[in-house]
Amino acid sequence: MRGPTTACPAARAAARADDRAAVPRELLLMLLADARLPVAGHTQSGGLEPAVRAGLSAAGVPAYLTARLDTVVAVEAGTAVVARHRLLAGRPLEPVVAAWAARTPAPALRAAARTQGRALARLAGRLWPGSPHLAALGTLDRPAPRAVVLGAVAAAAGLDACGLALLVAYDDLQTVAASALKLLPLDPAEATCWVHGALPAAVDLAAAYAGLTDPTDIPARSAPQTDLWAQLHDQTTRRLFRA
Amino acid sequence: MPDTSPSTPTSPSGPRRALRLGICGPVGTGKSSLIALLCRELADDLRLGVVTNDIYTDEDARFLRSAGVLDPDRIRAVETGACPHTAIRDDITANLMAAEELEDDHGPLDLVLIESGGDNLTATFSPALVDVQVFLLDVAGGGDVARKGGPGIERADLLVINKTDLAPYVGVDHHQMVADASAARDGRPVVALSRLDPESVAELTGWVLRQLHDYAHGRLTPVDPGPMAPHVHAEEHSHDHEHPHGHTHDAQRA
Repeated sequence: MRGPTTACPAARAAARADDRAAVPRELLLMLLADARLPVAGHTQSGGLEPAVRAGLSAAGVPAYLTARLDTVVAVEAGTAVVARHRLLAGRPLEPVVAAWAARTPAPALRAAARTQGRALARLAGRLWPGSPHLAALGTLDRPAPRAVVLGAVAAAAGLDACGLALLVAYDDLQTVAASALKLLPLDPAEATCWVHGALPAAVDLAAAYAGLTDPTDIPARSAPQTDLWAQLHDQTTRRLFRA
Repeated sequence: MPDTSPSTPTSPSGPRRALRLGICGPVGTGKSSLIALLCRELADDLRLGVVTNDIYTDEDARFLRSAGVLDPDRIRAVETGACPHTAIRDDITANLMAAEELEDDHGPLDLVLIESGGDNLTATFSPALVDVQVFLLDVAGGGDVARKGGPGIERADLLVINKTDLAPYVGVDHHQMVADASAARDGRPVVALSRLDPESVAELTGWVLRQLHDYAHGRLTPVDPGPMAPHVHAEEHSHDHEHPHGHTHDAQRA
């Protein structure tokens, strides 16, 4: 039951190699991907709010989702996977954080990611108390961004790299889709169709980046329009979502 | 860094945290003004912080910063993703982090005031977020609102009926409103407040100071006002039933 039924053949070996993986991988992923996870996910729109303000319509959201998978989500997934690898290898996280920051040029997005990371680390400390991988986050001089915390969560929980990358991708899809229900008038089934339609792209993303181990290999996909919108959003005095 | 300690006043990992006082109530009843009033009245004697939960803007945080009652950095705004109810009740993470950051940056503090986004009559704070909470109504919202009841009106630690100075202009008998509220609240305190009436302001600040005193002496147990009505045995008459569990401290608070 330890997750052999995935696109990622390494999952079974990875889970078996880690004795802490007593919880089936599928359940762990369901837990971590659940919108009810108390990590203040309801404060995030995945950049959709400023995109809608700039004129994005519902018809453009599917393309927006895949554009994010190709850019900012690739950076997040690569960062998470490398952070997990470094922790399991007993190596420091600083180069991962530095690589992530260099690939996340918008200060507003870095700040939002650190806030989200704090929320997740807070929860993870309760779920996996005493984990040395979570403790390693505390040795950084600033709160770790969400992607790095997710890597530590995967290390602490015994989640394989492929599952971790899928989680990053899926969570971004659902974050955007859920906020679309607030921002755009929409049949909610339509939003779920978008997510469902983007799942193959999420699998491709996980396959492409699950094997990364070196911070310098984290993809550097710039998304200047996303960055610009994020900065404008950070300056507005009227917003529903943090970012 | 991972915070493995639950957010309790007696966390062994550090000094005792500030008392957290929640203020909720419908839009426009005067939550921000109440916080500005409390800051003005208490800032000389207490170390204060404020967290606001705006639904659509950072208007409330800006209002409070511009009121000049507190160092602007001691006022933090939390976005709620159009879910003000969630942010104070189901997933309180963003608010807990904001309160903790205030204390990390400016602590130790005595009192952190948390203003909910204006919501409806059913919205109340989780006792995991605030130690004690005020529900706010105003006379301009209509004299019948107190009679309508709901968890906040009936069971918040304090009910404030605000803007009593406006009562003659909106055709509301605020004494009747207080009487209705008191009947609905089974003895829990009600303050009829006007910022122009120093006696009512003193009544409010006196209540806040008593909460701080009780908190300092370990006598304050956060109580959840709702969302459900407290359990009452069918055979009991509603006017003489025993107080629900958890309210035994009300006598010393009131």
